[in-house]
Amino acid sequence: MTATEKPGFTRTVPFWAGLTFGTFGAVMGLALTDAINATTTMIMMIVPAALFFQTMRAAGRRAACSGRGEAQRLYVKRVAIFASLYLVVIALQVSLLDDGEASLAVRAGLSIMPGLAICGVFWAIGRLIVEEKDEFIRTLIIRQTLIATGFALASATIWGFLEAGEVVPHIPAYWFAVAFFLGQFFGAISNRITHGSWGAL
Amino acid sequence: MKNRLKVLRAMRDWSQQDLADRLEVSRQSVNAIETGRYDPSLPLAFRIADVFEMPIEEIFERD
Repeated sequence: MTATEKPGFTRTVPFWAGLTFGTFGAVMGLALTDAINATTTMIMMIVPAALFFQTMRAAGRRAACSGRGEAQRLYVKRVAIFASLYLVVIALQVSLLDDGEASLAVRAGLSIMPGLAICGVFWAIGRLIVEEKDEFIRTLIIRQTLIATGFALASATIWGFLEAGEVVPHIPAYWFAVAFFLGQFFGAISNRITHGSWGAL
Repeated sequence: MKNRLKVLRAMRDWSQQDLADRLEVSRQSVNAIETGRYDPSLPLAFRIADVFEMPIEEIFERD
């Protein structure tokens, strides 16, 4: 901790992440139960968005302390921006599309935004692979991303056929992006087992 | 591929972080190379040789 940093802002990443998800859940809960209107939801979403920024700043500080490079700091910053954008646009979508009276153009515009925000995270991963100068870390990131991609594609394919056979219910396709991020977790475990390091994502 | 990184580092009394700083890589990279979990690229192998001021074949050898 430097002399200029406030003690209250130097808590750990899990602390800030817990607060972020807690407040996000609370605001979404209020929005979905119609306890607050769209405008209030939008204003209140500033809280989890700001907390998420703080989470990523804490992660960035930890990365800097562990000697990670510029590419990883940029990655953390980019993910923070797109994840914050995602939180805001998902709240907008839930709030404004809830009444079902929006026009097709408005629905299309609002519906594409969360997807684009998630695509921003994919882009950030791609830039990290391009910009990372440490070849071992780059290998770990590529390995982790390949495992995640394989897991997401395998999940989509298997689920699709099970769905066609009416064995499982229909789920929206965006769940396979969630499968990709779950795959990143499996990739990190695999990296740890085979290469002795979790990687950088 | 086997290597003598750990021995050469110990002879110079360098920590993994010291060597990582000299090579401009992460400490995890040095650890992975030392433990044989990762084989460095040719450019990195040349950098390692330069840091230890030795030919590559005196640092790395085939399994």
